Amino acid sequence: MGHHPRRRSLPRGQLIPVTVIGGYLGAGKTTLLNHILASTSERIAVLVNDFGEINIDAALIESATSSTMTLTNGCICCSLVDGLSAAFDAMLELDPAPDRIVIEASGVADPAGVSAFAHGPGLQLDATVVVVDSETIQATIDDAYVGDTVSSQLAAADIIVANKADLADVQLWLTGRYPTTLITPATNAVVAPELLFGHAPTPRAAASHEAADIFESWQITRDRPLPRAVIERYLHSLPDRVVRAKGIVWSSDRPDRQLIVHRVGRRVTVRVGPPWPGEESTSLALIGLLSTP
Amino acid sequence: MTRVFTARRIITMNPALPSGEAVAIRDGRILAVGTLEEVQGWDPEAPVDETFADKVLTPGFIEAHSHVMAGGMWTMPYVGFFDRRDPKGKVWPGCQSLETVIERLIEAEAEMGDDLTDPLVAWGLDPIYFDDERLLAPHLDRVSESRPILIFHASGHLATVNSAMLARHEIDADATTPGVDKDGDGNPTGELQEPPAMRLARSGMAKLGSRLGTEEAMWNYAAESRNAGHTLVTDLGTSQLTEPDQLERWSRVVNDPEYPCRAVVAMSSAFGGPSDPAVWAEFSKELPDHETDKLRFGIVKLMLDGSIQGFTARVSAPHYYRPPEGHPGNGLWLIAPDQFASILETYHRAGLTVHVHCNGDEATEVFLDAMEEVLTAYPRPDHRHTVQHCQLAKPHQYRRMAAMGMCANIFANHIFYWGDQHRDLTMGPERAAGMDACATALRAGVPTSIHSDAPVTPMGHLHTAWCAVNRVTASGEVLGPDERISVEEALAAITIGAAFQLKLDHDIGSIEAGKLADFAVLEEDPLTVDPMTLKDIGVWGTILGGVPFPAAS
Ligand SMILES: [Zn+2]
Repeated sequence: MGHHPRRRSLPRGQLIPVTVIGGYLGAGKTTLLNHILASTSERIAVLVNDFGEINIDAALIESATSSTMTLTNGCICCSLVDGLSAAFDAMLELDPAPDRIVIEASGVADPAGVSAFAHGPGLQLDATVVVVDSETIQATIDDAYVGDTVSSQLAAADIIVANKADLADVQLWLTGRYPTTLITPATNAVVAPELLFGHAPTPRAAASHEAADIFESWQITRDRPLPRAVIERYLHSLPDRVVRAKGIVWSSDRPDRQLIVHRVGRRVTVRVGPPWPGEESTSLALIGLLSTP
Repeated sequence: MTRVFTARRIITMNPALPSGEAVAIRDGRILAVGTLEEVQGWDPEAPVDETFADKVLTPGFIEAHSHVMAGGMWTMPYVGFFDRRDPKGKVWPGCQSLETVIERLIEAEAEMGDDLTDPLVAWGLDPIYFDDERLLAPHLDRVSESRPILIFHASGHLATVNSAMLARHEIDADATTPGVDKDGDGNPTGELQEPPAMRLARSGMAKLGSRLGTEEAMWNYAAESRNAGHTLVTDLGTSQLTEPDQLERWSRVVNDPEYPCRAVVAMSSAFGGPSDPAVWAEFSKELPDHETDKLRFGIVKLMLDGSIQGFTARVSAPHYYRPPEGHPGNGLWLIAPDQFASILETYHRAGLTVHVHCNGDEATEVFLDAMEEVLTAYPRPDHRHTVQHCQLAKPHQYRRMAAMGMCANIFANHIFYWGDQHRDLTMGPERAAGMDACATALRAGVPTSIHSDAPVTPMGHLHTAWCAVNRVTASGEVLGPDERISVEEALAAITIGAAFQLKLDHDIGSIEAGKLADFAVLEEDPLTVDPMTLKDIGVWGTILGGVPFPAAS
């Protein structure tokens, strides 16, 4: 309440990527968050949206120079003040600016409601990641109280992490229900940074990374403007094994502005960004699986 | 020093002595109530004040569920459908068409300074009464093409902005945020739906936010309450209480002898502050040190679900009647049912009174199940945990509340403001008729109060009582006549009933010797007027701790 944010002007052309982690209680959201913190040297600002103790590894937070804030779910009907909005204001105030914002949504939050904020000024939604407990998800989704909630969470996912894959295999079941979503099995919520962040790992000293050799990446550059429709068609037509694509495009429709493009799984976002800080040019980075699993 | 007030009638809400004609007051408390001769027995020399000789005194009204931000709204122009009186006593006629909304805004804009960067923010718009005619940017552009404008809708879920506001924040055809409403050509219409889109109009939302929690808001809130005959305000609840200066500010403002109400401030983790209930429970231990006769704590507010009119309340089968297309079938949980019992347990064991927002009956069921589990493990006499809103609770749920010593605070104002929508859209005729079931609650023996949830609906207990007594909707239809309660029962709900669930019934809520001298001063006798005119009874003002506080006019 009563926020008067001083707008710090963001570096031109730099939108802070936002990763939203959703999933029901006990699925492994916090484990995934700790894994993220351990496996990157990015400066990460963490927002935890839940009740109770937050089991983030404090040592990781400190060495990653991250900040954490907490907030809990609220309905604006009864508050008029939206906790998430205020939290984003505070995140945008951080100096130096974080390289990434990671939000752990509450166990009953709709991640779509959280990720909708990440279209705002200075922000770019990177991916909505929903974690499920492979052992219990099939029962939870039929639960009288929370089945519909969990269903909505999964429907909002760009990436579903089928956690505890060592205990149960629900890959087929998930693929049947969510055929267009990127689904990855995981144990102890270990997910390759290529999938999570759309780029190769920038490992911390102690972090190990074994999965890298299942991905390959491509760079595409052009120094001539392209029609926006062409780019959109191209992004939609990429094969499924391309798990991530992102970049900045020089479009002939809005040549004065950067066109920011983004694909996670099959979701494509195209957005007009800030003016060009220097030379106009198109550059795209693609990450794909070496072979379909 | 003793002072005696006489009145046409004193309605005590003490069944052992239901009415009197004089009340003697000493040191802010009631010395005696009865006939003039009886009360003079305490002090024959006491001066007799006949200012209220033709008025009717009742216990001061107690609003057990509303929000201090209601006072903050009045620092901005009101454009709602119904007439409303502001804290200074000025009546703002309802804007019953888009044209009158625009006229009101043109007047407000003309009164603003030359600084065109200062946005015009207005509140209270409720287009559900305009037959779906929508307020859009072109309407607001008629008010100003250069000053940014934001209209905050009554629902809290929508804002409409003008072209200057769209331009200022670069909200254009390229906007990708869900909820930025666009026309056939892909350009924003000016309607921003839900907080992520509303947030884009940052200067407008920041101005709104900056007005809600100020000291001015606190004073306005109490002034509006006094004008309606209230002697106690509740802030249910605040997430800011642990912040530096918050306790000091509440203490300074409320304990000011000029502040015309007592206050109960509930803490809440719903919108910020520490997320761990154990931290709040620990923090609550220092609150008694800050309590005075005027300022009290001891309540924690939790929220389980959303709202019925927003289709986000958790409703049991057969769920929603005619939900909008794409609706997921049921509402939202704000706390996971699996987590709720442990949160409740923490606060229950800390000795706090837990008030839980449950609009839908499925949310109520989760509260009751958790309550049973926690009470079985940790019995605690006289806890008075309260179901807030309680709008769809069923008879068996009221019986469980009674069995477990719980209270209900029922959102009676919904019947008038949204009853037609509940019958036609959200719940259907049968369940709408059984909503906000005050009669069922009383039959089951549940200690009951009724509330406005201001600013969600306007504050004013005579109006709230009128809703519970008549159950008339905005269209004039009676919704669920069998749930109507008597005027006497409604008066009890807004006085001793509210005091009971705030655990203050030893001190306020009825006119009895020893209690604080808090009265509503009314022009008519609510027990003898036509119940349909209950809401129209004039309010002279209040007496708080023996001191008269006239309403602003
Ligand atoms: Zn409320």
